[in-house]
Amino acid sequence: MKHARVLFTGAGPLNGQELDVTVEDSFATTGQLTLKTDGQLINESDVIWLSPIKEPGTIFALGLNYADHARELAFEPPKEPLVFLKGVNTLTGHKQNVYRPDNIKFQHYECELVAVIGKEGKNISREEAMDYIAGYTVCNDFAIRDYLENYYRPNLRVKSRDSLLPIGPWVIDKEDVGDISNLRVTTHVNGELTQDGTTADIIFDVPFLVEYLSKIMTLKPGDMIATGTPEGLKDMQPGDKVVCEIEKIGALETYIVSEQEFYGDNY
Amino acid sequence: MTNNPIVKGKLVCVALNDASQFEAMQAEFNEAPYKSAPTQPVLYFKPHNTWSTEGATVEWAMSEGQAAESMVVGASLAVVFGKECCRVSQEEALSYVGGYSLVHDFSLPELTYYRPDIKGKCLDGSAPIGSVVVPASDVADPQTLTVVTQVNGQTVSEMPVSNMVRSVAELISTISYIMTLQPGDVIAVGFPGQRAPIKQGDKVSSAIAGVIELNNVAGRA
Repeated sequence: MKHARVLFTGAGPLNGQELDVTVEDSFATTGQLTLKTDGQLINESDVIWLSPIKEPGTIFALGLNYADHARELAFEPPKEPLVFLKGVNTLTGHKQNVYRPDNIKFQHYECELVAVIGKEGKNISREEAMDYIAGYTVCNDFAIRDYLENYYRPNLRVKSRDSLLPIGPWVIDKEDVGDISNLRVTTHVNGELTQDGTTADIIFDVPFLVEYLSKIMTLKPGDMIATGTPEGLKDMQPGDKVVCEIEKIGALETYIVSEQEFYGDNY
Repeated sequence: MTNNPIVKGKLVCVALNDASQFEAMQAEFNEAPYKSAPTQPVLYFKPHNTWSTEGATVEWAMSEGQAAESMVVGASLAVVFGKECCRVSQEEALSYVGGYSLVHDFSLPELTYYRPDIKGKCLDGSAPIGSVVVPASDVADPQTLTVVTQVNGQTVSEMPVSNMVRSVAELISTISYIMTLQPGDVIAVGFPGQRAPIKQGDKVSSAIAGVIELNNVAGRA
């Protein structure tokens, strides 16, 4: 089952409400989503996609977690996971705008498999780890490379900016995906394939990360672990459309706009 | 652990904002792995599993089944947002503050500032916040406040907010251009550079004289 959240913008009593929906196989042909409450069908054209996690917890992201990407950035693959946290202000939904800050040279996407925690736990063993995963989604962990400094690197200025973590379109149940150890990970920018990797290149896998993080702290439902990205990074510009796709999970579409367009009156 | 009712969405802490620490580390900043001094506020999150309260006992850190040899604590003025704060100037920054409280940051010793310190800073319950939020209208100027911390009744640090590299208003402005702050978000604006070492069972008490106090106990492994 695929679980999503949308804001209804169509006519009628649902207008302005945030809705929990499921995305059935029929969606591909009908463009209709199914309300969880009563099975009513609503058109995708009447909704804004939201982050699929209703109560987001801690957002963990992995740096340099694909062997090829570490080489791309001229780093030795890490011996211990490089984990950083992202603020909830970064989350945004499928088919939404994210912004490129003014006067920067390099902003890039990072297509990542996200494991969503479904059960609270501490000191979880690698063997038990998958029992704590509810499902998976896709995120695009944008980074502003200009802002890297060697303090808590990658710092919040690089990674925790508003809207720069599109996620979704949905969370798909773990059981519907099965083995995640060799899924194709791709990014298309304006239709051109720019990133093409496989989760088989992940250095620290999901069970390892659950064990590692839960030794440090209690994991809770709604926590997310973004597992890093393969090589193939490219600068983004306003007007670009970027699609991050992971086999069996979904394709997440994002539009780049200028800082002024994004913030409007707050610019 | 006890979730804190004050923090709603984000608890952002500012490291290396003690001017005397910043000055003392100048030579180190120019060496590897830093190679140059920070040009921007050095920020880290304390995630939701860390949020705790006045009076709470803070779990002692464990590593590989063993009690950590040492922990440290610092206290900071906590700025609690009262309304949404997005891209504001220094001049208007303080008008977004709903009130002030205190935060304790319990952690493993700070050995390096190079990588995000998940192991050291994300321990369960390690960020208690005072149960009282003093309304911003009662604090004419947060720069005049001093945070005093005692361990078992002995004063271990006095941190005047005026000794910070960046003022409260400057931090709010800078951070609000990185991330929109929501009501109930909190910024811990600065900790004494020398965090106080603690042992299991120590009582940690911080106060801003006549305004706010925060009391916690370091747990036992």
